[in-house]
Amino acid sequence: MTTKAEFLGRIREQMQRTPGRFAASSAKRPEHPAAEAETIRRELAERWPETLDAFRREFESVGGVFHKVASVDAVPAVVSRIAREHEARELVAWHSAALGADLGPALAARGLDVHQMPDAEPIGVAERERLRAIAARADLGLTGVDLAIAETGTLVLVSGAGRPRSTSLLPPCHIAVFDRTALVESLRQVGVVLEAWHGDGAAPAAGAVINFITGPSRTADIELTLALGVHGPKEVHAIFVEQGIGG
Amino acid sequence: MSAGELATPFRQRAGGAMKDAFLQEALTIATTKFIGLRREAFEGFPEGEALRDQARAIKEATLQQLDRHLETLIGNVERLGGHVHYAATPAEARSIIVDIARRTGAKMAVKSKSMATEEIHLNEALKEAGITPVETDLGEYIIQLAHERPSHIIAPAIHKTKGQVAELFSRELKRPAEADPEALTRIARGELREKFLQAELGITGANFAVADTGTVVLVTNEGNGRMVTSLPRVHVAVIGVEKVVPSLTDLMVFLAILAKSATGQKLSVYTSLIQGPRRAGEFEGPEEFHLVLLDGGRIAQIGGPLREALSCLRCGACLNVCPVYRQIGGHAYGYTYPGPIGILLTAMLEGAPAVKDLAHASTLCGACVDACPVRIDIPRMLIDLRREVDEKRIAPWTERVAFKLLARLLQHPPLYRFAARAGRVLQRPFASDGRISRLPLFFGEWTRTRDLPLVAPRTFQERWASDKDLRT
Amino acid sequence: MTGRRASLMVTCLGDLFFPEVGISIVRLLRKLGVAVDVPADQTCCGLPLFNSGYHSEAAAVARRTVTLFGDSQHVVVPSGSCAWMVKHEYPGLLAEAGLEREAEKLAARTYEFSQFLVGVLGVTEFTSAVPGRVTYHDSCHLLRGLHESQSPRTLLGKLRGAELVPLPGADECCGFGGSFAVRLPEVSSQILAKKVANVEATGADCLVACDAGCLMQMGGGLTRKKSRVRALHLAELLDGDR
Repeated sequence: MTTKAEFLGRIREQMQRTPGRFAASSAKRPEHPAAEAETIRRELAERWPETLDAFRREFESVGGVFHKVASVDAVPAVVSRIAREHEARELVAWHSAALGADLGPALAARGLDVHQMPDAEPIGVAERERLRAIAARADLGLTGVDLAIAETGTLVLVSGAGRPRSTSLLPPCHIAVFDRTALVESLRQVGVVLEAWHGDGAAPAAGAVINFITGPSRTADIELTLALGVHGPKEVHAIFVEQGIGG
Repeated sequence: MSAGELATPFRQRAGGAMKDAFLQEALTIATTKFIGLRREAFEGFPEGEALRDQARAIKEATLQQLDRHLETLIGNVERLGGHVHYAATPAEARSIIVDIARRTGAKMAVKSKSMATEEIHLNEALKEAGITPVETDLGEYIIQLAHERPSHIIAPAIHKTKGQVAELFSRELKRPAEADPEALTRIARGELREKFLQAELGITGANFAVADTGTVVLVTNEGNGRMVTSLPRVHVAVIGVEKVVPSLTDLMVFLAILAKSATGQKLSVYTSLIQGPRRAGEFEGPEEFHLVLLDGGRIAQIGGPLREALSCLRCGACLNVCPVYRQIGGHAYGYTYPGPIGILLTAMLEGAPAVKDLAHASTLCGACVDACPVRIDIPRMLIDLRREVDEKRIAPWTERVAFKLLARLLQHPPLYRFAARAGRVLQRPFASDGRISRLPLFFGEWTRTRDLPLVAPRTFQERWASDKDLRT
Repeated sequence: MTGRRASLMVTCLGDLFFPEVGISIVRLLRKLGVAVDVPADQTCCGLPLFNSGYHSEAAAVARRTVTLFGDSQHVVVPSGSCAWMVKHEYPGLLAEAGLEREAEKLAARTYEFSQFLVGVLGVTEFTSAVPGRVTYHDSCHLLRGLHESQSPRTLLGKLRGAELVPLPGADECCGFGGSFAVRLPEVSSQILAKKVANVEATGADCLVACDAGCLMQMGGGLTRKKSRVRALHLAELLDGDR
């Protein structure tokens, strides 16, 4: 079996053979990502309505369904309306600490079967399998949003305690709740934020995956004809809370 | 009717592909659509050109420090609890992965689309070891059921009509299937959902590996990439060494142009940044993460003539615009990677003799360079491959003699003029109506479908030399 | 006379198969006050050798050409592919022989025909030799090698007595590709068939291109089909004031 030393040795050998003929430069990284990310945040705070408009346009153009509510108290009504449209009842949700609000009681009051994901690692295989079965059975998955990218209509979700990956993946309908603090304009800005998260461990959560979600699951593998909901959700809803989610 | 005993296997496959009416229609529709989508995406994206230049520069800069970036990547993956393996050859890669699979006790492995695993013929090795590989990308699932190989880098089943897919599903899955893409997709969703939930092992490739953070990046649309890397207990990612990029900032440059080049989307539906196995606090995600770094011929090109081809992002844009690919489709090329970049990759992975015919499967029109997000100069490298094939005497001696003769003729005007006079005489039996519509032997390759003009009664230079009124 | 001199690089295909194109160019340039000369003993730019990988042979031919046109003020070439060869490949090919500087000097003085008319002479208005509708095909080396898609269209757009109609897929290859046409004739012919279908669908009387290879391929396909569409070189079409 090839060892690391042999492998890298072969690479170094080849690298000696040519200095490279073409223009070469890595992208310029932010020198102080955290500070730059903070600057971006401050500047965006002033123009969030335009950013939201741009996000809505892009999100809708990739097939997302956009909703706007004044306060977080209005969210359960939207969720229950979506559930009724799907004749659905089973909902799996991020833990309230991850969502930034405890919507469980209000949702249950509207007749939904709410399964909140735990935010401590469950003990044992049996518990993990039970949670997986719930997510696999659920009709709706309710999550928060860490970044909403206006340029592309993308929702960025970081995994971690209380925010499992399956909530936005297994149920056929994904509902994401966010406010102006998640908005960013461009992929370039996202790069700065990601560097900041990585650099000083200030990511929203400590999980191993960051998922960029741009609309519902899709394929055009058969005759280049679009079909939605291949393996992931067939519908993605984004509910914007104007007055902000958390306290 | 295949054209003559001298026809190469490649030429025969190409001929067969052009007689396949289903394939021809599928190719025209698919490539035309992809071309339009890509064009629209870049038309509304003025920063695109600068980003393409930047992406190319990043790839080159990375190659210039590849050992350092790989060291950083390896260190980070291991720091996060992942394992790194080194595969010099496809056989070694297969052996590493089968070993991992055996140790996990997996009976089934779910796979997200990975050209690297196609390249190393992983599925056969898994089957032989008693592990069932299940392709979960819809296009790959279709061709797996059909026992075929992908015909396009990003749309593997594009050569199949919906009728053919319906018939395939009915036959293999033993259930009725309507020839409607949405209905067929629903069937695949149902069949594969169970597999995702049961499999112990998930195998993927990756579009990028970020050195600075130890992150592998999967760019997908269906959601199977997320399933495969979140539900099974073990995740194995196989990547060519050239997939590494230095930082997250670099990554964003590529993300800004990759999906646009491939399908015209601003971003694919799912871009997953995966940093090792699951962390404390997560109850989902793999317990084990393995990264297999694959050489397979890539390393030799770091200092070699096909170095530029190491920048390939596997977007498929060059296939869609290639006049040759558009006529013959992917299978006719006969190797894992088809189309313009496929010829270069085949040379890289299998050596120059493998492409002695494929190197000529190009009009050198340059549409591929125009479409390539990192501006790989494919025609230049094809010419270099042709040169290698000539210099290593892999090309047939008859051809080499003919070209040397041509070279002699073009350096000696009296010979050139003699050839013109000879041509004028020899063409007489075949000339009619001011042109030639039939020629014998090898020259019939032209005249079977096209006329040829006659060698002029007097060449331009002959007229210039003798007609005084032309000169003044 | 304008004091301008141009040497015609007639090209092998032009010399042997399309002498009328060279004659039209000479006439047109002379009418515009350019003194035209034709260095004797021309053969070929070497592109067929280069494209098939015979680079030392191509270099020998390139060397000849550089010497032959050593005294030229401007070199005018009727084919985009030959102009591209001289401008882009000669310096690299002749580096080993120590002739890179001479090759670069030649490259700088070499122009494809439409580029010379529009870019150097600044002349754009001519009378069409063939009245009616014309459509234009972008030869690959002219379009992507020399980044030229506008000059021929400017000339055709202003052509008196002719109407320029767009060709769908004008920027798509005609399938010639040099030896490709006989190495993979079935593929070459299918590409050609699609091009011919596009051409005929325009309703044009005349198909124009700036490359002898493209004209051989497309012209050969059109006459085989007994099409009413004529394939002509740009120079022949512009040569209307006879």
